Amino acid sequence: MLHTLKLLLPALIPSWNFFDIIVPSPRIQFSINSTQRDKNREWQLFRPHPQYISFGMMLKRMLWNPRWNESLFLMSCAERLLDYPTQHSEDEILIRITHDLVKDGRMVLEGMYLQFRLVLVKRVGQELVYESQSVALDTYIARVKHT
Amino acid sequence: MSLIEAIRYTEILMGLAFMQQSIEHLRSFRNEQLIFLARLILSLLLVAGIQTSWVTGLLLLSALAMLHRFQGPYNGGSDRMGLLVLCCLLLSDIAPTQYWQEVAFGYLAIQLVLSYFISGWVKIINPDWRSGQALTDVFQFSSYPVSESLRSLATYPRVMFVSSWYVMLFEILFPLALLNQYSLIIMLIVTASFHFANACLFGLNRFFWIWLSAYPSIIWFQQRLFVTM
Repeated sequence: MLHTLKLLLPALIPSWNFFDIIVPSPRIQFSINSTQRDKNREWQLFRPHPQYISFGMMLKRMLWNPRWNESLFLMSCAERLLDYPTQHSEDEILIRITHDLVKDGRMVLEGMYLQFRLVLVKRVGQELVYESQSVALDTYIARVKHT
Repeated sequence: MSLIEAIRYTEILMGLAFMQQSIEHLRSFRNEQLIFLARLILSLLLVAGIQTSWVTGLLLLSALAMLHRFQGPYNGGSDRMGLLVLCCLLLSDIAPTQYWQEVAFGYLAIQLVLSYFISGWVKIINPDWRSGQALTDVFQFSSYPVSESLRSLATYPRVMFVSSWYVMLFEILFPLALLNQYSLIIMLIVTASFHFANACLFGLNRFFWIWLSAYPSIIWFQQRLFVTM
């Protein structure tokens, strides 16, 4: 409870330093593997941005934008992982990747392993900065169903 | 605008903003749905003006449940602004006298001014913002642009330079708009347009609705200052 109240304080006495400096931005990439320590992992970008969005769609998103707002939350989790890693932030990302994979339904997930990593995109180049544990997808599929 | 009217308009606008946020979570995970369904019902009651003191208190509890569930704000600045508006409304509702009611609601107005002024100040002291490079970086490699095609705006340095100075100037000059009611209204149209552009280009729709909900406080505050002076 004390921790939750601590989280409330920045809202009551805000800093308002939005976009004061533009720092390298994390991207989430994930990999599905048949073994926990697969050497030949193929990494995919999680939720790549669309090439183009019409003005009509932008207007619609003024009222209905859940997927994008969830992606912003995952960006916060990624930034938290870089500042002070917690199981909560790692789980939020793993659960939502699993949810998308289950919803997509195109891959066989049973018995497979999931891992994600964070890549910082900079003005010039990219840098790998974080790798999660490789986890059994079955565990996270069960968590998605019961969360 | 009287204090009572300003508080009521803020309740309605904040309630609508919370409803929009809550509806977005109703198709999410079950433990999120429970918090946001409660929040949706409470926001409906607030908009309808039913037992507003109790409802704002319960909304604060739901906000604490959100902070606990997500271990922080779900959507950074917009959630924090929502909490600030909510706390100021609750404090002005339970304030023992009109003086303390004005202090609580005036705090929201002052924070709204600071939200623009400090944002402008921290940018203008940064050489990257003054040259347009920082905004170029936002479009080039941040995760905010809603589509890849928008990243091409980073290749127009003059557009980035002019846009940067436009944003920095209106943010830092925002307090001056309090000098006159008409200048304040014009400034609020400029800032609302800025939030609308951010919603379109960077998908920050929640910022637009929640910042708008604090606008009645500044309109009341400006009139209160003018009458006092």
